[in-house]
Order: sequence, then structure tokens, then C-alpha cells
Amino acid sequence: MSEEKKLICGRCGVPLVMRQVRFSYMNRSFGHEVPTCPKCGKPYISRALAEGKMAEVEIMLEDK
Amino acid sequence: MEVIRETRAVCPVCLRNLPARLVRQADGRIELDRTCPAHGRFRAVVWRGKLDFAQWSAGSAPLAPDAGLRCPERCGLCAEHETESCCVLLEVTRRCDLHCRFCFASGGEAGADEPPKEKLLAEIRDIAARCGGVLLQLSGGEPTLRDDLPELVRAAKEAGCGYVQLNTNGLRLAREPAYAQRLAAAGLDIVFLQFDGTRNAIYEQLRGAPLLREKLEAVRVCAENRIGVTLVPTVVRGVNDGDLGALVALAASLAPGVRGVHFQPVSYFGRCPGPATEKARYTLDELLFDLHTQAGLPLEAFLPSRCDHPLCGFHAAFLIGAHGALQPLTTAVPPTGRSSARENRAYVARRWMRAAPEEKPATGGEDFDSFLYRVRHESLTLSAMAFQDAGNLNVERLHRCSLHVYDGGVIKPFCAKYLTPMP
Repeated sequence: MSEEKKLICGRCGVPLVMRQVRFSYMNRSFGHEVPTCPKCGKPYISRALAEGKMAEVEIMLEDK
Repeated sequence: MEVIRETRAVCPVCLRNLPARLVRQADGRIELDRTCPAHGRFRAVVWRGKLDFAQWSAGSAPLAPDAGLRCPERCGLCAEHETESCCVLLEVTRRCDLHCRFCFASGGEAGADEPPKEKLLAEIRDIAARCGGVLLQLSGGEPTLRDDLPELVRAAKEAGCGYVQLNTNGLRLAREPAYAQRLAAAGLDIVFLQFDGTRNAIYEQLRGAPLLREKLEAVRVCAENRIGVTLVPTVVRGVNDGDLGALVALAASLAPGVRGVHFQPVSYFGRCPGPATEKARYTLDELLFDLHTQAGLPLEAFLPSRCDHPLCGFHAAFLIGAHGALQPLTTAVPPTGRSSARENRAYVARRWMRAAPEEKPATGGEDFDSFLYRVRHESLTLSAMAFQDAGNLNVERLHRCSLHVYDGGVIKPFCAKYLTPMP
């Protein structure tokens, strides 16, 4: 993925790699591949993901 | 006997506004109790103690002592009214091709003049201008008796109504698929389909004819035209209160064409077969309990209305699993808190409209894409609205109503508009 190539972990200085990450919210858990630092394990959540699919999932689980 | 709330109600004979109390009886029933100086004392059961009343109604507040003194006889939304319009209903005809035992609008009565199209177009523009983005429900009578209905739908979308919903018995949709196609092309979003149960005997009792086959055909035609269908049963004790589980299972089997079931416990206004007896009243907590037992659904999946008063309705969303098993989507939500008419409208649109076609994600697991696909295409919403009649009208509830009716330039809460003295 092009995003993976561009992103470097600010703390560890190593390129991020795509990894399956678990997201939990309101008694549900979802797996999604996001760029992650192979050294410290911190995932990078893009704005597009946060405002797109993640927000949509939140709305569906939050009722109104 | 314990007084749990002071409120206001009406005399079921003369509709005079009266001080009233919600009273808990020793057996757990809660009654609305008031006395008219002219016609005497009246009580109506509003809760049968199947669920905890205080917990369910926690999101409500009592009327201020000086509030609701003129409701509903001078009703049109006033400064006291607490909620904006989520949905505005417009009657486009008084004609009807059925003569149902219960009809809030007394549809099909002789002598009704048909409103001209130009008048309706002007009213639609007025609604859109005053309630921007509103969900407009075209109702009647039976609106599909109008050949120009697609033009009204198109005009509503062009005028700025957010969503257009058709309240119908579905017969013309079933018999004339090209008509449904025209409605879809005009932008119709949702069909609110009168659908009382899974057996013909139910339709014979409530509608006077065995209509199940045509109802199912209407669902098929709407699905083909990607109009979201909500099944709307009027629930009458002894007629279809034992059919709720079967109806939920049928609805799940008809998804995604069917997006939800919206239960309406019977109310005694408009045309109805006589006064409501204590035994005939079918309360919101009974409906919840019957859905729980008949459909095997957990009670905690059902949430009280947040936009309207908690005693006016509920909603619950489910994912449809293997063999039609329903998995609750929203159990972790706290039962209190208000939502605005705008939020409520966005919710019902999301839940009742058909989603755009898309390919099913190959993963099929618990990831964002698969979950969103399931919510859009493999889910079912169960909701209810308990309308109020002259016997059980509670002004505290009326003040929070977001379902309004356009009545000759005046916007009124539904239960105020259709209030009639008890037969």
C-alpha cells in the first residue's frame, strides 16, 4: 500500500506496516488493517478512516 | 393506590382539558385518572406492570403546574410544545378502497371532496419551507387512489423535504407495479405498509378481506423498485397480539426489502368499533413483553423513544443472522437522554430506507466493512408508536410529540389532530 510506504513512526523512526488491529466499542469488536509501527505497535488511524467507516460504525452502535 | 405523577388529560366525552393523575394500583397497573365535572370520573390503564415504569419513563419530566392548560383544544404548535417536527403527515385524499374496522382518519367516508393538486403542491411547499429537511408522510384515506401521487412525491423532494414516506394499504402497489415504479422514479423513499399479520384471518377481521397475498406482492414490488418497506401492524388484543413473533420472523425473511416493523397498539379515535374497555387496552409494556416472549428478543434491546415521550414508543435494531436469528445492535445504549427531531429523522431514514446496492465484502467477519454491509442490508428495526385517544391522552406526552399533521396551514401533533370523543 502506498500509505504504508510513506508513513514513518514518529517515536521509533521505522516505516509502518499494514497490520490487523482490533477496535472495540460498545460491546463489539472489529478487526481492520491499518498502518502500524512494527516496533512499538502503535497504529496510525487516518482521518479518512476516522471520519468515514469508523464514524459510521459508531453511529450505528450509538442508537441516535 | 399511589399517585406517581400529576398531569393533564381530557374528558373522553366532551374533550375538556382536566387535571389528571397517573396512579399505580396494588397489582402494578398504572392508570390515568381524572374527573370531569359534567361527565364524571374516567380511568384508563396505560401500563400493566410488565416492565418497570419508572425505569422506562426516566427520560421524561412532569408538566409544569401552569403548562398544558389549553391542550389540545387550541392546538397548533405553540411556545409550550417541546419538540420540532420529525415527520409531518399530509392527507392527500379522504377516499379509500377499504373500510377498516379501525381507522384514525375515518377514511373512505362518503361526501369527502378530493383536494386539488395545486392546493396540495402549495401545502407541500409550505411544509418544506417551515420544516426544512422534514420527513413528509403522504397519507389519507388511501393516497394511492390519486393518479398524480408521483407528482406530489417529486414536488416534495424538489421543495426540500428530506425524505418522502407513503402511508398505504399497498393494494395498488401490488396490482399495478408500473405505478410503484413511477413513485420510485419520483423519489419515494419509504413505504409504510399496513401489514397486520401473517394470517388472512387477521386481515378479514381488521380490514374486511383476506389481503395477505396482496400485501406480500406489494412488498415484492417495492423491493424490486428499491423502496424501503416498513410493515405497520395495528395490534388489537384477541386479533393479532398472538401473531407478533410470527410477524417478526416473516419480516426478517423479507429483508432487505422489508427494513422494519412499526407496531401500533390500537387506539380509539376516528372510526373504531366502540369505547375502549379496560380489557381491550393494549399497552406499550404489553407489546414489549409479547415481543420478548413470542420472538425471543431480549428486553434490553428495546429503547424508549428519545425524541417523543418514552411512553409514546420504542425502537430496537437487529442484525439478521443465520436462519433469521435476530442479534441486537444497540444493547449498550443507556435508556435515557433526549434526541432532537433532526437526529430522530436521520435515525428513521437510516433504518427504513433501502441502502444503495453494493457488493458483499468477501471477508464476512467482524470487520468494519462486513459490519456496515450487514447493518445496511441484513438488519431489521422494530419500533412502535402508541397513539393516544380521548381515553388515555396524557398532555405531558402530547407536549413532546414530533409526529405532526399539516391541517390547513396549522401544524398539530398527530394525537391532537385526530382526537375524537369516545364512541
